[in-house]
Amino acid sequence: MDIRFEEAEARFEGRTVLHPLTLSLSERRIGIIGLNGSGKTTFARMINGLVAPSAGYVVVNGFDTVQHGEKVRAETGFIFQNPQNQIILPILKEDIALGLKSRKLSRQESDAAVDAVLDRFGIGHLAARRAHELSGGELQLAALASVLATEPDILIMDEPTNQLDLKNRELVRRTIEGLDENIMVISHDLELVEDFDRMLLFHEGRLAADGPPADTIRLYRELAR
Amino acid sequence: MKTLYVEGDSVLHRLPPRVKLLGLAAAGIALFFFRSIPPLAVAALISAAIYASLGIGLRHSLARLRPIFLTIAVVALFTLLVGSAEEAATVLLRLTSLMLLAAAVTATTGIGDFIDEITLAARPLERLGLVKAADIGLSIGLVIRFVPEILDRYRAIKDAHRARGLKPRILTLAVPLIILTLKNADEIAAAIDARGIRAQK
Repeated sequence: MDIRFEEAEARFEGRTVLHPLTLSLSERRIGIIGLNGSGKTTFARMINGLVAPSAGYVVVNGFDTVQHGEKVRAETGFIFQNPQNQIILPILKEDIALGLKSRKLSRQESDAAVDAVLDRFGIGHLAARRAHELSGGELQLAALASVLATEPDILIMDEPTNQLDLKNRELVRRTIEGLDENIMVISHDLELVEDFDRMLLFHEGRLAADGPPADTIRLYRELAR
Repeated sequence: MKTLYVEGDSVLHRLPPRVKLLGLAAAGIALFFFRSIPPLAVAALISAAIYASLGIGLRHSLARLRPIFLTIAVVALFTLLVGSAEEAATVLLRLTSLMLLAAAVTATTGIGDFIDEITLAARPLERLGLVKAADIGLSIGLVIRFVPEILDRYRAIKDAHRARGLKPRILTLAVPLIILTLKNADEIAAAIDARGIRAQK
C-alpha cells in the first residue's frame, strides 16, 4: 500500500473541511480518529476518489485519484457508515455478483467468487437472504463481503462498529482483526484500533497527531475534554 | 432495504426473465387493441388468476397493489368525469390488467435478472453510441429496488406525524420524503462509485 497526500485540501461551499495535508501512508493497519466533523470521513473519501481535492493531489498505489479514478477505486474498497446504503441490490448474492460484473466473469465463475467470499466470512447461509432481514453485524459482514469480493489492495472502513450492539460489535471486531488486507479504519470505538500500526488524529479539519496509537489516543482524550 | 421480489416456485418464477419481460411487453400492447368491456374483463380475470398463482396472499397483495390501484382509480374517475362510464370501465380494466401482470413479473424476477436483461436489450443502442447499456440496466434495477424503500420512508414519516399528534398533510409528508430520498440517492450513488459498478461495460 502506498498512499500520498501532497498539499491536498478539501473545500465545500467556501468552507475548508480539510486543510492542506502532506503525508505518506504505507502501514498495513491504520486507525483514523477524531471528533465529529473533524475531517476524518472527507480524508478517507479523498483516498477513494469520492472527494476530489480542491487543491493539491492524492496518489494511491501510483494512481492519481482524479486522473485515474476507476483504477483508484479498483485498488481501494470502501465500507460506508451505513451498510444499508453499501448494499445496492436487496439479495446478498445478487449484490456481490453486481460488484463483480466489471471483471466480465462467466456466470459459473461469478457464482464461485460469490460463494468463496461468503464462505470466507462464514455467511454462506445468508446468500439468498434479503438485506433488511439481516442483523446489524450480519449486514456489516455482508457489506465487507461485497467489497472484498473484488479483491482491493486497500480497505477503508468508516465507523464499522457504529450502531452495533455489543455482540455484533465483537463479531465485526474479530472479523476485522482477521483480515489480511491493508486496512484503514475510521472509528470512535478506540478499542477497535488501539493495536493498529499507526494512528491519525484529525481535529477541526487538520491532522492534529500522527503516530503510535497509545500517544495519539491520549491526545484525543485531551482534545475531547 | 426491502424488495418487491417474492420467493416461490410458481410457473412464473421458473420462466426465464426474458420470456416474462417480452410477454409483459406483448400483453401491454395487446391490451390497447381491445376497446370493449367483455374482452378487457376477461383479460383482467386472467391477469388476476396469474397474480393469484404466485401465492402471495390476499392481504399482502392488497398492501403491495393498493398505491397503484388508487392511482388507476383516480384516472378512471377522471375519465368518468370527462367521458362516459364505458370509457372509464375500459380504462379501469385495461390498467388493472397491466398492473397485475407487471406486479406478477416484478414479484417473480430478481433485480439482478432485470438488470441483466435490460442491459442486454440496450446493447444495440450502445453499439450506435447512444447510451451505456450497463447504465440503463442499473438505472431500471435501482428504480425497482427503490420503490419499497420510498414506501417505507413514507410510512415512517406518517408515523412520525402521528407520534407528535400532527395531522399528515401532503406538503409536510412530501417535503421530508423528497429530501430523505434525494439524500439516500446521493449515498447510494457514492456506494456505486466506490464499488466501481458504473465502470462496467
